Amino acid sequence: MVASKSKFAAFAGFIMCLASRGFGQDSNPLDTPEGRAQGAALFQTNCAYCHGAHGEGGRGPDLTTGVYRHGGSNRDLFTNIRNGIPVTEMPASRMSDEDVWKTVAYVRSLGSSGMAEKATGDSAAGRSIYEGKGHCAGCHSIAGEGGSVGPDLAGIGRRRGLAYLMESLVSPAAEVPAAYRAVQLVTKSGPTIQGIRLNEDDVSIQIRDSNGKLRSFFKDDLKDIQRDKPSLMPAYGTTLTKKELEDVVAYLSSLRESL
Amino acid sequence: MSRKSSLLRLVALLSFATLLNSQGLPVTAERLLKADQEPGNWLMYSGRYSSWRFSNLNQINTSNVKNLHLKWIFQGHSPEKFETTPLVVDGIMYLTRPENDVFAVDAATGRVMWTYSYKNPERTYNCCGRVNRGLAILGNRLYMNTLDMHLIAIDANTGRELWKTEIYDYLADGGYAATAAPLVVGNKVIVGMAGGEHPGTGFLDAYDAVTGKNLWRFHTIPQPGEPNFGTWAGDSWKTGGAATWNNGSYDPETNTLFWGTSNPWPDYNADSRRGDNLYSCSVLALDPDTGKLKWYYQFTPQDTHDWDATQIPILVDGTVRGQPRKLLAWAARNGFYYLLDRTNGQFILAKSFVRQTWASGFDDKGRPQVNPDQEPTDEGSDQIFPGVDGGANWMSHSYSPLTQLLYVFARDERRLFTKNAVRHVNDGEPPLNNGAPPKGAPLTALNAPQTTGIFGAGGNLPASPAPARNPKQARFAPEESWGKVVAIDPFTGLIKWEHKVLSPPWGGVMSTAGNLVFGGTTEGIVFALDAKTGERLWYFPANDRVYASPISFLANGKQYVSLAVGDVLLTFGLD
Repeated sequence: MVASKSKFAAFAGFIMCLASRGFGQDSNPLDTPEGRAQGAALFQTNCAYCHGAHGEGGRGPDLTTGVYRHGGSNRDLFTNIRNGIPVTEMPASRMSDEDVWKTVAYVRSLGSSGMAEKATGDSAAGRSIYEGKGHCAGCHSIAGEGGSVGPDLAGIGRRRGLAYLMESLVSPAAEVPAAYRAVQLVTKSGPTIQGIRLNEDDVSIQIRDSNGKLRSFFKDDLKDIQRDKPSLMPAYGTTLTKKELEDVVAYLSSLRESL
Repeated sequence: MSRKSSLLRLVALLSFATLLNSQGLPVTAERLLKADQEPGNWLMYSGRYSSWRFSNLNQINTSNVKNLHLKWIFQGHSPEKFETTPLVVDGIMYLTRPENDVFAVDAATGRVMWTYSYKNPERTYNCCGRVNRGLAILGNRLYMNTLDMHLIAIDANTGRELWKTEIYDYLADGGYAATAAPLVVGNKVIVGMAGGEHPGTGFLDAYDAVTGKNLWRFHTIPQPGEPNFGTWAGDSWKTGGAATWNNGSYDPETNTLFWGTSNPWPDYNADSRRGDNLYSCSVLALDPDTGKLKWYYQFTPQDTHDWDATQIPILVDGTVRGQPRKLLAWAARNGFYYLLDRTNGQFILAKSFVRQTWASGFDDKGRPQVNPDQEPTDEGSDQIFPGVDGGANWMSHSYSPLTQLLYVFARDERRLFTKNAVRHVNDGEPPLNNGAPPKGAPLTALNAPQTTGIFGAGGNLPASPAPARNPKQARFAPEESWGKVVAIDPFTGLIKWEHKVLSPPWGGVMSTAGNLVFGGTTEGIVFALDAKTGERLWYFPANDRVYASPISFLANGKQYVSLAVGDVLLTFGLD
């Protein structure tokens, strides 16, 4: 009880401090390892239903890109979580202001998970492989340069850690963003078309095919929709050496410019 | 009775019905009792007191539904979910739009005739959107519940507010809201409340339809000294939820009101509320004159999965094991279809209509035999079916007396169930912020009702797909979770057919005398199925979410079907 009261006093002090400073300040006093950890639990409770268990998006936007349409400052995030965002489905939160700040700390960490890590590979060599032997740019773009079949990789080093990047090269199907999941459409007229599923309902499906072309099919014209190969990306575990893989990871990790 | 006299009776009845159809206002209590004899009108949320959501109209039928097309659109202009069920009286449609705006529109064209607007406080305490599901009508008065816990009477001719009654302090106990349509029974307006996600206590109210005066209140959690008070450990009865957030049904023959109750609070953690937690997750049979409980049946004792029993009760008569019975058919959020005797609550049978993992069967009294390892866990369990949104939810089911089938637009999925620590109001935590505020605590900007674990202490979408790591991991993807219209024989619980759709739905269904079942999917496909086979005979790609159930009515003698999709109300007709 005593501990509880002293905790309460400390918290009351914190609130008074916030109140006296107003919420206009952009620093987040709860952006600490403990704050982020508690924010992660709060996120599961309050946010993951729409934004995904890892903030990867779903019904609500992807929060791992470090780009926030309604403002990316601490104050913006606090306001949007606390009060909701008008004319969107984002509701006002029931959390205490303290818990909102912890959630802000966690959400910001989602968009900068790779920032603390230092890659061991040779970034310049990795770039050569990316642009040459790996043919990565055929499908991925960086700052508008490259293909559109895979996700844009600008700022990927901010958003993804080294282990994740390595896994994506070696086992691309391990985790595929919802917006880049591949399907194979077996048509009744013969050919099988593969592409990224862009949208779908009970009567039709829309894809970007492997040439980057937008196409739509009525399901009545399809024999089958196969979803068991969710990634169109080749696995690089055998085509690149361990050193080459590490170099590519180092290059990707160096891409830390905000979008 | 001779065949001729039967025919004469039928002709007389039809003439009477035609007369009533052209009667317009006022809608008397007598007309509500015989709402099924006014097929051109839609006089209450579920169409009639037995809540069949069935239209006797058959101009649109299996042979011509392919020609159905859009006749008009009502523009809602609201970003909020559009969950309304309109009423239709003699060519005038009355509908609510989020938050609490009411419109009278010409049912043949959609042109607005009057508008009533209600301003809620900036912050309200609805769990899942600032929504409203519709109106009730008696005489010349429309009735609407508001997010800030008022019941409002509006003049149906003018749209003017006649009176406003506070149901309860919307700021109390972590917050209350009222989103459902009221139900008029006799001279009373029956009103439920939402708030099972907060540490409040549930109730069902009756108000005088003329004056707005409260006539009775039934507490869904027994008070000290009442039967079943001891089904809540400690003081947990003070904060146990058990809200009444959807619409009910009424049986004039036995003068019984049927209403479902929500989950107990805290949703996913029963540590502080050991016991059966009556009357949460139950159906209540009440005397509408007094609000006294006649009987109850609890679908999920000590629920920890947010499996509210707030589905619409469906009243059917039929033969069970050779005996004619008055029955209550209930496809519950916990994934089981139940058949009860509505005169006494006796359990007759239960059969699952979606994948379920939590119960292995039922004893003779209808108590579920619960499987092990089906509780939410600290790290989250995704091995529990159905998911947090249940096999059924609030959206309407439909019963057709022609096919004698119950139609349920079901959700077939699993989710991640997480048990979070919940700091209980009585745990000695500080009254500010951590844990729920005590009853009557003032609310300020820094002391809003909140709290860790209040609503979402589980039931989240699973982690993003990772088949290479754990192929069995739950996924929110077409091959893992889907929706389906299920046609259940209500008297046996056997499934007659299923019509599968891409995603778990949030819309309800309506069946018609044209042997059609109408509904809309999460992606916005508005459909008509053959009521006998489940075959899709017609569709319209409306391309936005459906959070509502359809109705049908006549305007200028022609049958129409309306359904809210996205932020518009679509109305379809022939020629």
